Amino acid sequence: MECGVFFTNYKADMALRRKPIQKIRLGIFIAFVIIFPFFASPYWLNLANQIALATIGAIGLNILVGYTGQISLGQGAFMAVGAYGSGLLTARLGVPFWMSIPIAAFLAAAVGVLFGLPSLRLKGLYLAIATLAAQEIVEWVVVHWTSVTGGVEALVVPSPKLFGLRLNTDFRFYWIAVILAGLTALFTANLFRSRVGRAFIAIRDQDIAAEVIGVNVYWYKLLAFATSSFFVGLTGALTAHYRTIISWERFTLDTSILYLAMIIIGGLGTINGSFFGAAFMTLLPAFINNLGRSLQGSFPAMATMLPAFQQAIFGLVIILFLVIEPEGLAKLWRNIKDYFYVWPFSY
Amino acid sequence: MKRQLFVLFAILIVASLILAACPGKKAETGPIKIGAIFDFTGPTSDVGTPYGHGIQGYVEWLNSKGGINGRKIDLLYQDYAYKVPQAEQLYTQFVQEGVVAFMGWGTGDTEALRTKIAEDKIPFMSASYSHVLGDPKEAPYNFLVGTTYSDQFFIVMDWILEDWQAKGNSGKPKVAFMHHPSPFGLSPWEQGGKDYAAKLGVEAKAFEMPKGVTDFIPQLSQIRDFGAKYVVFQTVSSPAALALKNAKSLGMDDVTFVCLNWCADENLIRQGGDAAEGAIGAFPFTPPTMDVPGMKDAREFLKGKGTTLEEKGVHYIQAWWTMATMVEGIRKTLDAGKELNGENIKASLEALKDFDTGGVTVPITFTPTDHRGSKGMRLFKVEGGKWVQLTDFRYVK
Repeated sequence: MECGVFFTNYKADMALRRKPIQKIRLGIFIAFVIIFPFFASPYWLNLANQIALATIGAIGLNILVGYTGQISLGQGAFMAVGAYGSGLLTARLGVPFWMSIPIAAFLAAAVGVLFGLPSLRLKGLYLAIATLAAQEIVEWVVVHWTSVTGGVEALVVPSPKLFGLRLNTDFRFYWIAVILAGLTALFTANLFRSRVGRAFIAIRDQDIAAEVIGVNVYWYKLLAFATSSFFVGLTGALTAHYRTIISWERFTLDTSILYLAMIIIGGLGTINGSFFGAAFMTLLPAFINNLGRSLQGSFPAMATMLPAFQQAIFGLVIILFLVIEPEGLAKLWRNIKDYFYVWPFSY
Repeated sequence: MKRQLFVLFAILIVASLILAACPGKKAETGPIKIGAIFDFTGPTSDVGTPYGHGIQGYVEWLNSKGGINGRKIDLLYQDYAYKVPQAEQLYTQFVQEGVVAFMGWGTGDTEALRTKIAEDKIPFMSASYSHVLGDPKEAPYNFLVGTTYSDQFFIVMDWILEDWQAKGNSGKPKVAFMHHPSPFGLSPWEQGGKDYAAKLGVEAKAFEMPKGVTDFIPQLSQIRDFGAKYVVFQTVSSPAALALKNAKSLGMDDVTFVCLNWCADENLIRQGGDAAEGAIGAFPFTPPTMDVPGMKDAREFLKGKGTTLEEKGVHYIQAWWTMATMVEGIRKTLDAGKELNGENIKASLEALKDFDTGGVTVPITFTPTDHRGSKGMRLFKVEGGKWVQLTDFRYVK
């Protein structure tokens, strides 16, 4: 609950960060992000890069699912379009990666619109199945369009070069990933302060009412698919250049579901929730792995069973979140902030 | 203010680049760290478990014998449940912890790490025998101990022609290639198999075994209509066993089924039952039903553990000797008095000539231009619920 916040001009009222504490928090976070790679080991940098890439995709998906209320199971496919689009442009045509990535992201957006078309007629479960078809179709095309994608063989992408510097280490790639994740967050935060973003939210809350007040539902639904797929495709394109080798196995339905789980755990319709979800879903398996490894000496039976529990733990976490805090990690974070906002007089 | 921040930032970047440029010093006497990922709980755990145990078993056995020249092996391992992102995470972690070599498992992780291991210079062996991995130009740090899928297919095709004539037929039989819907499944077909069949003048056709189906009757009916007298499987045991059962129910008794290495194992017989009788299997690694000297150590080791090699199966001995080959590379590096790093191990492996596995495989040879360690294998046949030797080592022509 915000209280005691008064503004004397519109500019302050419209600011993204309105309170000094918010600015300080953001400052600390940015400082951490900048300093982190200088102290982190390659392993942690690798995790950080994964989180940054997943954040972009999760924000993209959140635009569609969390903000516009359109369910989608096709993220894996859109990611594949981004990855193969950018990978092929660079590997076969020698397009530099800073050009091929945006081209591929726009390509993913176009494919997203194509498979978003059923959303004009379908809602909820029906739309979920329609987007599932997108997933299967794109996967099939990637595997069988041998002359272009190389079929089932992995596509080797040369490691990206920027100003003559090869971005072949986690440390160097970190800056690209983090800057793009930051820009994505900034864009999305501003998107939902604009007419377009508010139209998305109106569609989510009540599509008929939205149409009545003059929102062109069809147009904005497709725009939501395009924007969402753009960022999901961006994640795919970055993944291709980060991993320098891709195969279709990376972009299966599992990936789509993983991203849905990210935004559900993180918090639907929130930007920091997308980040929390991405971080959680990346760090949880790493944590379980390390727990398993540390138990190898003392409890070998436990150590062999732990990875098997991983899926179950994922499932359990999702159930617990849906029951206890349906709004996800983002709401938990807000609760913590609210608690300290009035601390120590929380009555 | 902004300027100062920028300067600070620039200094930090330069400092980190300098720090990154200094290589860490490695211990020259301590245990030798080798990384490994296993699938104990994922989709391929039926074959991944004995394979993982084989790697662990070999390391335990070797350490009990004093290790390599007195240096023990410290195997850093973890179950990754056939998840590529997990494999990448674990790989990065193990490399950071100082492993000099890495044991992978499936096609997914082997392909995903191919460029990374070349960048990090970490010799890598896995149970994925895709032909392209044997080409140092494509995959400079991958080494294949098993016969590649393509080579297996070539050898099987040669055998099919001989078998066809031995049965008193003239002309050439039609061959159907049934494969797993994945890179692994298509690998022998795309990487030379298709062309080889054409070269032999054999009419061959590929049939995908879709995932998630409850029977392969439609595919087998197509194969019957096509008129194939031989079917070559490139898949894992359970779908192959299912297809064998379906074929039996369709009455395809005049068709001979041949399994390449990943469906030629004990599981095929267990799951296929009667339907598996008469099936042919390609064995780059000798199954325990045939006793060869190379199994002695593993047998004794397992006896001490209260189990047998028969119980563990062919994938155990496969992993045992894959690990042994990597260890041989490390041993040769140490014997030559060279620093133990990925580059030197690679060079030692590339100088490996006719490494004797006691008859489990053909002698293993790597060269700087060819990382396909073995180019021969035996064929076995299911008789009375057991794999019985059918041919001696046959080689790629």
